[in-house]
Amino acid sequence: MRTIKEKEKIYSRHMQNKGATKRLSEWSKMVSDIMYPEGKPEALSGTVVLDLSYANFTGVIATALLAEAGAEVINIEPPEGDPARVMTPYGVNVQGTGIPYLMESRNKHNITLDIHDREGRENLIALVKKADILVETFEAGMMDSLGIGYRQLEKINPGLIYVAITPYGQYTNRAKECASMPWSDLTSQAESGLAALIGGLADEPDPYNFPTRAGFYAAGYATAVSSVCSILMALFFRSRAGQGQMIDVATADSFSSCAGIPATIGYIWKRPRPRYGTLDYGLSPYGFFKCKDGYAAIACFRDQDFRATLRILGLWKIEEDWKTLLDRITDDVERAKILNREIEQAISGMTFEEIFTKFQAFSMKAAKSKWRGGGLPVTTKMLRPMEVMEVKHWGVRNAFFKVNDTYYGTFQVPTTGKMSKTPMRVKSISARIGEANDYIYEKYGLKVNGND
Amino acid sequence: MKNDYFSYTAETFDRSKVEQKSEALKGIRVLDLSHMIFGPKAANILAEHGAEVIKVEVPYQGDYWRSSTYWGKYWKHSNPMWHFINHSKYFVGIDVKYPRGKELILELAGKSDIVIENFASGTVEAWGIGYTQVRKINPKIIYASLSTFGQSGPARFFPGWDLLAQGASGVISSTGYPDTEYYFKAPDFYGDFYPGFFAAMTIMMALNYRERTGEGQYLDVCQTEILMRSLFNFTYSSVTGDEIGRTGNHDPTAAPSGIFKTTDGIFFALAINTDKQFRSLCAVMGREDLAGDERFATALERLKKEHADELDPIVGNWIASKNSEELRELTKSCAFPLSEVMDDLQLANDDWRRERGSVVEFDDEMYKKLVMAGSAAMMSKTPGRIKWLTRPLGYHNRYIFKTLLGLSEEEIRKLEKERIVGTWDYRVGQRPPAYYDIEKDTMFNYDGKGGEDN
Repeated sequence: MRTIKEKEKIYSRHMQNKGATKRLSEWSKMVSDIMYPEGKPEALSGTVVLDLSYANFTGVIATALLAEAGAEVINIEPPEGDPARVMTPYGVNVQGTGIPYLMESRNKHNITLDIHDREGRENLIALVKKADILVETFEAGMMDSLGIGYRQLEKINPGLIYVAITPYGQYTNRAKECASMPWSDLTSQAESGLAALIGGLADEPDPYNFPTRAGFYAAGYATAVSSVCSILMALFFRSRAGQGQMIDVATADSFSSCAGIPATIGYIWKRPRPRYGTLDYGLSPYGFFKCKDGYAAIACFRDQDFRATLRILGLWKIEEDWKTLLDRITDDVERAKILNREIEQAISGMTFEEIFTKFQAFSMKAAKSKWRGGGLPVTTKMLRPMEVMEVKHWGVRNAFFKVNDTYYGTFQVPTTGKMSKTPMRVKSISARIGEANDYIYEKYGLKVNGND
Repeated sequence: MKNDYFSYTAETFDRSKVEQKSEALKGIRVLDLSHMIFGPKAANILAEHGAEVIKVEVPYQGDYWRSSTYWGKYWKHSNPMWHFINHSKYFVGIDVKYPRGKELILELAGKSDIVIENFASGTVEAWGIGYTQVRKINPKIIYASLSTFGQSGPARFFPGWDLLAQGASGVISSTGYPDTEYYFKAPDFYGDFYPGFFAAMTIMMALNYRERTGEGQYLDVCQTEILMRSLFNFTYSSVTGDEIGRTGNHDPTAAPSGIFKTTDGIFFALAINTDKQFRSLCAVMGREDLAGDERFATALERLKKEHADELDPIVGNWIASKNSEELRELTKSCAFPLSEVMDDLQLANDDWRRERGSVVEFDDEMYKKLVMAGSAAMMSKTPGRIKWLTRPLGYHNRYIFKTLLGLSEEEIRKLEKERIVGTWDYRVGQRPPAYYDIEKDTMFNYDGKGGEDN
């Protein structure tokens, strides 16, 4: 019995070991079943989340992730809606809802509730009594001044996990001084050290040498996921110790706390790194190079991978000058450019298919050999998002959830979180303001104009 | 009221009390079979919150990232960037290629709550230490397999890492200036670190589920898919049939927005998300006329490319007329997003981050002082913490093998002789710093007589 289909390319000699077949077969069957979440239990079913995010996508994303894991997320907006609804590329929207907000309106119940109104606050407190998690993104101290901050709500529900997300957090002088500073993804990228590292080399003309934005919510997503990690640890702690707690997230730490490298470099080297264009500080060559019909990744990590790449590209003659990783990574930009130019020239005459076929043949041959020095040169083509959507692999993995809605029309959202028992999943996308008012107000016995 | 609130939070998050507080994951054991960044970072997040993480490496070889430092610069015979990824873990060297090595790994997995691995898909199954084996001896195990293209689908066996995931997901093609040949990656292996956090998140979902139901499970954590999950380009394209494309340092979801240079050559980022923020910016710039202009008054109008293109240069010129001191002062009072572009050195030395604990100066027994990043999400009752920096390859062999597996000194010596277990060779990154007397280290030479409380 063969478990790995004939046409599947294997890059590991271990996979051909005697005795591996049966295990690989069992595993292959199990992993293909993970792609289908229907009918399976949800990790966080029964968990109630109150989402008070306001003009801050970190909160919107964090609660979407909790909702995908099965939590009941009640998205609480003021009557006019969350301004995050209209943070959208070029103003593109569907029925007034921007693309990012629509995409993150996963499995949420949208209700309106005005916390600046006494009845609204009473209703919020009624919800808090039943809630496990509350996420808010207002100016530090604002909820507290309305009598619905953590120190007041903790008395009503000691198990509550209260999450505040702001640029500078809830404590330190800086947090106090800059409390009125609102969130944006771009300023979070800048403040946390990401923008300083993206952009052309110093000899590029303005503005190409300026600090540059990563072309997506790189700060927002990193911090949302980090927040959910802490929320779930707090939930776990609560199940053992019975206590809730407060979680304070500072988006000014988004990149620096995620990739972690800037602070250590700053401390040890006592100087900041310059922007490095398409070069890399840690590996070389490590980037996408222009070929005949697109851009191909050349990512050499170990010296054997580099040697293999040189052989394939017909560049063996330069090996002497760049033998080890230490020869290749250098703070001498001019020297780093030389190697990159060599690779660039060699690649420029090839199509991606030619590069890929040669790399794959080499890697598979090397993988079969017991000699470990063969190297594993790997490549991939740089794809535009529209091309990514056409890749068969993602179709097989159900990486896109297709919405076909009479109100919003047809569109797709990416999803992941593949777990054998409790896979994350998108059940519905709907973002109408207050659409779940009747359901939630009744379920939780909230008041409407003084009436229960 | 405001003062009162900030003194309450100062006490709630007081950094000097961290050591006295509980740890969220105390009593949870993680077997970390992973290498490089993606897997090790996921395990590290759990270690930071109290889980006992045992990192297994191949003796005399180790995790390749041990020796892979930026620009070839080492620090005390270690890769300074390895500490941030692997602090507070236990380090053992076991070679899976020997049957007895495999047995030892399975014994450890039998006593663990979570296993994390990030070899090429299928490799651990081929070795006999995959989920299908571990669940037989430990049905409650949460087993996370991390990879670039996932454990199923036609491309599952393609090897890859950060750069490939960034290219295959659409991240790289979205970053840079339009009509140029330069596509920038998200630097510092963002494509490994961010998915590492995502992996820890799904592991925590599974752990909470297990706490309720007693059931373990298998996780297929795919880094390219995780990067795709953070792009709204797919939804945008499926709605419009068009692409967002590259926009340089302008954020197409905020108008005006960009990164601009002051009179003294310092860069500031500014991004306007709401109408209120826009009015406040107009007032500060003395351009109230713009706030009343119907092309700019509401977000959906302002964001239209032709309108945003008019506003960006106005803001750029305004910032170009200010010096950095004025703008820094303004960040304390302004009600719109404005921030200086911070570099490595500024981040390392920022007072408020030290006070907050998002940048930590840690004093380690072996390596002494090092500055590292702390979490962006601070927990009031169970704050994360660094316990020790990394340790040489196989440093905790005796401690783990004796206390957890009940091996005797004689048995360990025999295993060492057969090279089934082991430590470091001469290479930088694996061995202790030259000044450190490892022979006197009671943890490294753990004699099983107790007295240690690590």
